[in-house]
Amino acid sequence: MNACSHAYPSQQTEYAVQHSMLALRNIRKSFGSTIAVQDLTLDVQQGEIFGLLGPNGAGKSTTIAIATGLVAPTSGEVNLLGQGSPSQPSVRRSIGLAPQEITLYAELTARENLLFYAALYGVEHAGKRVDELLNLVELDTRATSRVSTFSGGMKRRLNLAAALVHDPKLLLLDEPTAGVDPQSRNRILELVRELSAQGKTIVYTTHYMEEAAKICHRVGIVDHGKMLDVGSPRELIARHGGSSAVTVTRSGVDERVVTVDPAAEVARQLAIGGATGLRIEQPDLESVFLNLTGRSLRE
Amino acid sequence: MSAILAITRKDLRLMFRDKGEMFFTFLFPMILATFFGFIFGGGSDGGSKIEVALVVESDSKLAAGIAGDLQADVAFEVVSVQTRALATDLVRAGKVTAAVILPASMQDGIGNLFGGGGGIPIEAIVDPSRRAEVGLIQGKLNELAFRQFPKLFSDGDAMTQFASTARTSVAQSSSLTPGQKLAASALIAAGDSLSKSLITDAAPADGEASGSGVAGWSPVAITIQELPAKKGGPRNAFDVSFPQGIVWGLAGCVMAFATSLVAERMRGTLDRLRLAPITRSQLLAGKGLACFITALLVQVLLLGLAIVAFGSTVEQPFMLCVAFVATAFAFSGLSMLIAGACRTEAQAQGAGRGALLLLAMIGGGTIPLFLMPPFFKSVSMASPFRWAVSAIEGPFWRGSNLSDQLLPLAILTAIGIVGFTVGVRATRSAAR
Repeated sequence: MNACSHAYPSQQTEYAVQHSMLALRNIRKSFGSTIAVQDLTLDVQQGEIFGLLGPNGAGKSTTIAIATGLVAPTSGEVNLLGQGSPSQPSVRRSIGLAPQEITLYAELTARENLLFYAALYGVEHAGKRVDELLNLVELDTRATSRVSTFSGGMKRRLNLAAALVHDPKLLLLDEPTAGVDPQSRNRILELVRELSAQGKTIVYTTHYMEEAAKICHRVGIVDHGKMLDVGSPRELIARHGGSSAVTVTRSGVDERVVTVDPAAEVARQLAIGGATGLRIEQPDLESVFLNLTGRSLRE
Repeated sequence: MSAILAITRKDLRLMFRDKGEMFFTFLFPMILATFFGFIFGGGSDGGSKIEVALVVESDSKLAAGIAGDLQADVAFEVVSVQTRALATDLVRAGKVTAAVILPASMQDGIGNLFGGGGGIPIEAIVDPSRRAEVGLIQGKLNELAFRQFPKLFSDGDAMTQFASTARTSVAQSSSLTPGQKLAASALIAAGDSLSKSLITDAAPADGEASGSGVAGWSPVAITIQELPAKKGGPRNAFDVSFPQGIVWGLAGCVMAFATSLVAERMRGTLDRLRLAPITRSQLLAGKGLACFITALLVQVLLLGLAIVAFGSTVEQPFMLCVAFVATAFAFSGLSMLIAGACRTEAQAQGAGRGALLLLAMIGGGTIPLFLMPPFFKSVSMASPFRWAVSAIEGPFWRGSNLSDQLLPLAILTAIGIVGFTVGVRATRSAAR
């Protein structure tokens, strides 16, 4: 995790721009009268897992599309790896994208899909690389099966492998766990951690705050196309999470006490006696979003 | 280049794994072409027989024998006509491969062999563009003449007259010594005796009797006159039905690739392709090449089937190859145009397929162009399929020359260029 996160939201230094793996400056994107992204500024530093957390329709996918050059911003500037705009093929070679959609060919086998993408990137020893990736996503035993026969979780893992085939430095994962079973979700989260440990920089969009809290070094809270705040989960909770609450049950009646020191409050309630139940509610990223936007992340 | 080929390989693999697209692109047009070929009568008479017009001007038994054997031969479809003028017209119209004329000068007896003609006289009028069949006809006429060979020696009157004339000539000769005259007379007597013995003992003539002991010498004097068939009419129904089949094959091919491009856009795979370090032109070239190869394959397979299974022949192979390439280019461009114009797969499947079917129908897919009323012929000019059919039929059976081909080839090339240009622009603007 890089200390440059303190530069948010407006104090971007020249140093940060030069060393960012992904730098977005005052990005604005509108589709007709609909504004999808508003003056979004962001720096993702080398080696970090950066989460873009927000509800569906917040502008996360559009931001990813702008970052990869698939969508041109209405205004603003994109810089990848300090090398320039993603419109240059040499710059695009360094990024890998696992889009929210399953961007695989259903009637090709897992191996054929990966070999095809490897050929597009001119990967040397493509067969060996593809075998490694199939092992990594635990699909080696289904290498010659057509993707149309795969479960949702298997497709998601292969979708991720396709983004890795050319060994990119920057990986953009757009809702990589959408619609998968818990087992596949855990495997994908493990994979993201492994990739981060290998030194890859990862931008991870999700609307699951548990995922963001679990794997991201830093998180940007996005809503209605605006970046509301950026920081580590702990920092964000400290800034916007609000107080904890202790709920005590006596004679079947719940009493909720808001406190900044839940441990002390629990001790106090136990001293009073008569409690048949105690529940501690600590703030999380959901609370952060609620406090920042006035509504729930899942609304 | 390897990226372009990778996209092409991938698209072809997907195409060949899609049973529905394969059916509509390859199998359905073959079924359609074969079906219409038979409906139009192309295969009702066993198709592979060589059609020959026969004119018998001679009233000799020899002529009757040759005519009978020719008509009985399973390899030939013989049309008897009264005059050589009628036979000539049939050759010129391309309705028969050749006309065989057994002239009045054909006589019974051995005089055919040693008379002024130097052999049994047979005349043939042939279409030079069908040389392989003409060669077969020549061989068959020689064989038939050999079959008549014993009859020449078994004509008693002719042989007796021939021997008598020879004896008189020997007797009156002043250059021969008495000894030579005696030897010649003995030889003539032996020949006469052999002839009489043939008349007495001869079994019915058959083919096995022919040829022995006459190697290197032909008893038949075949005079061949080359008469190019007047081009402009199909030689059989398959000449028409297979270009029609190609129309439907091309329609299937265009739809398959147009829909595939729209599907890539809708399903997000196009985004992944755009993200790869390749240019947009490389991407579209890869997809266009796959469509081009498939369109080429459709044409080659369909006409190949017409040639192999239904005996069609190609008048101008090189020009046909040029027509195939121009057609494949035009329809690859057309697939790009439709892909660019349609925003969703449903649009491509509905509006795109509907428009293509209409263009295929007015372009000769249902009714052959030459059977269309003048108004529809004019309307058909708006259809790219019409120009593909014209470009293919020209070298296939019309025998069109280069100047005839220039217009359809130029229009097909223009369609390809416009299709690619507009399609690429539309695809670009359709990208988010």
